[in-house]
Amino acid sequence: MTKNIIEVKNLYKAYGGKVAVDGISFNVRRGEIFGILGPNGAGKTTAMEMMEALRPIDSGAVTLDGANVAKHPQKIKAMIGVQLQSSAFFDKVNLTESLRMFAAFYGRKVDPMELLAEVELSDKAKSYPEKLSGGQKQRFSIATALVNQPVVLFLDEPTTGLDPQSRRKMWELIETVKARGITVILTSHYMEEAEKLCDRLAIMDNGKIIALDSPANLIKKLLARGFHKKQTREQADLEDVYIDLTGKELRE
Amino acid sequence: MRAILTYAITMFRRFLRDPVYIFFIFFFPLIFLFIFGTIFGGNNSVTFNVALINHSESEFSTNFVEQVSTAEDGVFKVKSEVQNLDEAKEMMSRGELDSIIELPTEFGEVQDGLPTGTMKVYYDPAQSQSGQTIASIMSSMLDEVNIDMTGVQPPLDVEQVSTGRDGMSQFDYTFAGLFAYTLMAMSIYGLSNQLPSEKKTGALRRIKATPFRPWQLIIALALVYTLLTAISAGVMVAVGVTLFDWHIKGSILLFMAFSLVSVLALSGFGMLVAAAAKNENQAGLAAQLIAFPLMFLSGVFIPLFIMPEVFRTISHFIPLTPVAEGIRFITTEGAGLLDILPQLSLVAAWGVVAYVIAFKVFKWE
Repeated sequence: MTKNIIEVKNLYKAYGGKVAVDGISFNVRRGEIFGILGPNGAGKTTAMEMMEALRPIDSGAVTLDGANVAKHPQKIKAMIGVQLQSSAFFDKVNLTESLRMFAAFYGRKVDPMELLAEVELSDKAKSYPEKLSGGQKQRFSIATALVNQPVVLFLDEPTTGLDPQSRRKMWELIETVKARGITVILTSHYMEEAEKLCDRLAIMDNGKIIALDSPANLIKKLLARGFHKKQTREQADLEDVYIDLTGKELRE
Repeated sequence: MRAILTYAITMFRRFLRDPVYIFFIFFFPLIFLFIFGTIFGGNNSVTFNVALINHSESEFSTNFVEQVSTAEDGVFKVKSEVQNLDEAKEMMSRGELDSIIELPTEFGEVQDGLPTGTMKVYYDPAQSQSGQTIASIMSSMLDEVNIDMTGVQPPLDVEQVSTGRDGMSQFDYTFAGLFAYTLMAMSIYGLSNQLPSEKKTGALRRIKATPFRPWQLIIALALVYTLLTAISAGVMVAVGVTLFDWHIKGSILLFMAFSLVSVLALSGFGMLVAAAAKNENQAGLAAQLIAFPLMFLSGVFIPLFIMPEVFRTISHFIPLTPVAEGIRFITTEGAGLLDILPQLSLVAAWGVVAYVIAFKVFKWE
């Protein structure tokens, strides 16, 4: 087994002359949580969708567990789990049926209840996705991404738009997925989330990777460059207050 | 294979949970059937609203007025309240009257032992057909009177014979066209709307990220829509038989088999639109662009013989024509498999073409 599960080399994509992903190269290690951060339009989603065989690659190459993504898209799709940025599911199809359907796409059979229990949606087994809250939808979309027991799980902004309780629940869930030995690649706008979850992360801007390391090392490097933050003495922030007051219990 | 079936079953269940769809499947064809069934069903009798203005005092004209008012089949509905020509003309211009019959003062005056006179039948130039029909009914009524009085049978005469085939009612003929239209409407409108709306929500994009392939999706949806349309068609036949006494002259099995092939083929056109369109607006427009010419150029609603030559030629090549012809031949003429082989092959060929293009132009998002 190689140390790197994903190898990205000079990955490039342009839309009508506008460069979206500008020749990026990086490796993702087996079993880690790898974050891709960056402002809107930096090329995070485009890069990720090329790795998922969802978008044609202009040039460069992605190898996932030894298979070339551009050459074997079907093989890649069978190996990965994907949560898209805007997850939509069929209305009037309940969660159990939806999971069975997704499993069938991979030629598999699953126990929907087991998957739903994993994402704490057991009581919603017969609900339609349109009846779920934002956090529940995101957790359900992780359940659908796990039906094929993927080796890599791609999560595009898994916590965007969620309340602090749901966000924490999602973090726990991502940690559980990692504990099962699944490599996770996620994009995020939240530094707190990246710092807490990611083993290593890449920061993208204008289609290029401008930094790649573990969160701790990135901070260390910044400090070494002589950066000083205005010192504050508070031992808690507003989020601590909020969680203290409203509790960690999910509200949905 | 299991992926195709699971997807098809899931989608099928989903439609049955959607009240709008249920309406579309069950009630849309029924409403259609009721509207057209009531128009073309029954005994086909036609009634004309007429005003009878009698200026004559003769006994003959009084009797004649009586005869028109009580004419058999109730062909004429005489508006006896109208006795003034100007008033009647005004009513006719509003469409309240089909015709005005005016008997002049000298009408029915006896000369040489026989009553004489000329009546006037006024009609609206916009409705010259009914005016002419009424005039001809009038003249045949007068002819009878003439024959009665003179006892002379004219040497040349016309006999009216209906060409309706034994036991076939007007509804039976109408049904064939209605049925063909319903198959098309269900196949094209239903299908073409669904997929594009899922492209917009992103539900389809999520499936793109799995190993499920477009050809599998297309086959699954063809199965689902064929089944849904078959249900719809079944309801239509059941209601046609029970409420409108619909007859089929040919083999019911052949009718079912031919309808099934037709639905599969026509669904290909819905699929074509669904596969190519990026959203419902595009799909709606494209579906109309396909459905309208099919509807009007296939002889389903408008008889082909009244069309200009060029349209009739086009008509031979469009996919709904062989569907409508095949159904009509089986149901009203009792055609067998060999008789409808040309129609069957043409429908099947169109189906193959449609699915191949649908597959080629398919877009996930």
